[in-house]
Amino acid sequence: MKDRQFPRARADCLSREFDSELLVYDPQRNVGHCLNSTAAAAWKLCDGNNSPSQIARALSRRLSAQVDERVVLLALDQLANANLLVEPEAPVKLSSRRVAIRRIGIAAAIVLPLVTSIVAPTPAQAASCLHNLQPCANNPQCCSNLCLLNRCVGG
Amino acid sequence: MKKLDRLDWAESITLSSFGVRTGVRVNISGVLPNVLPLLPPGWKKSRGVAVHRLYSLVVAQGCERAGVRRLHVLYADSMRLARGVALDQVLAALETDLHRYTAEATSDMTFLHAGVVGWQGRAIVLPGRSFSGKTTLVREMLRLGATYYSDEFAVVDNSGLVHPFARPLGIRDDSSRAQTKYTAEGLGAASGVKPLPMSMAVICKFETGAQWRPAPLSQGLGALELLANSVAVRSQPHETLRILHKLAKQAVFIRGIRGEAREAAASILNLSCGRERLEMV
Repeated sequence: MKDRQFPRARADCLSREFDSELLVYDPQRNVGHCLNSTAAAAWKLCDGNNSPSQIARALSRRLSAQVDERVVLLALDQLANANLLVEPEAPVKLSSRRVAIRRIGIAAAIVLPLVTSIVAPTPAQAASCLHNLQPCANNPQCCSNLCLLNRCVGG
Repeated sequence: MKKLDRLDWAESITLSSFGVRTGVRVNISGVLPNVLPLLPPGWKKSRGVAVHRLYSLVVAQGCERAGVRRLHVLYADSMRLARGVALDQVLAALETDLHRYTAEATSDMTFLHAGVVGWQGRAIVLPGRSFSGKTTLVREMLRLGATYYSDEFAVVDNSGLVHPFARPLGIRDDSSRAQTKYTAEGLGAASGVKPLPMSMAVICKFETGAQWRPAPLSQGLGALELLANSVAVRSQPHETLRILHKLAKQAVFIRGIRGEAREAAASILNLSCGRERLEMV
């Protein structure tokens, strides 16, 4: 329970700032994430010493707008789901973004937190490949990675 | 590897491409000229013998006997990479692996899976996986006067400039999906030589009958799309993120679903030079 009370961002992830957004790369899981301004600001405040209510207060000061604690909890849910927090409490109960928006109210003063994730490709995935039944000489040539009797199968 | 080394090798070449040194050797003379057009664009002969990866192509010799198939076999170092009855298939496997290996192993450049054209002194980058329609869009842009840079890789240097990787365009036949290669010059376009700054990255998908209505994408989400097409992000994440940051800072990103390539190509060229403005959705 302590993790959720004082969430801590993972320190082994690489990140780069793009205006108010943050691009985060998780080298352990090979996943890239884009954190929007609210999610990025919340993640930066996850230092293991701040509770969600303290994060909400800090965000309110930083964004010059009233930030509800439920917005922070929504951000923490998304960050935990993206494995960007240290040992998220298990099991993580995810609240639907739609439900959360309804609860928080559409008149929220700030952008709701959003984490968009993409699995990083292997070198083979990041290059052109052959489709079903096209002639091939080895598995990596095929999108399906299956070359049978010199023809790609599937993909 | 020792067993392979003991074979009689008739011809060999050592090459350097984007700082990666590779070698190709074949067991029959006269085959190497078929290999040269498959080497990465801009390759140079290298004098040294030490290579990062050595390809060994064993071309089947002798007559076919009843019930016996003679196969051509390709090795990358000691690993068997491909084998087949048709030499052109095995050569295609060599080309694919050599390009991928160069893209992954180089530390001089960052490779993104993308089509690239030059337009008014800047690069338009079209990242996307196979069959996302990159080559079709590139071909249409060339028809409208753009300069050819690549239909496979955007090659980005440390300062964020996009270099050409102008291999022949692999244009797929609509019905068989088989590829035919065309040079840009054969399509009436010029190939770019000079590195260019990126002005725009276009993330698009093809859907039959769709109307092209692109929307702007934020820098962060745009950079995430580039990351999803980075060849070496798993092995060189620090460097890849640094380059993506540079690229994203200098460019605009748009995303949309396109129907016919002609309409989208014209719109993208106009958008990139400010002749057309995005409709804010």
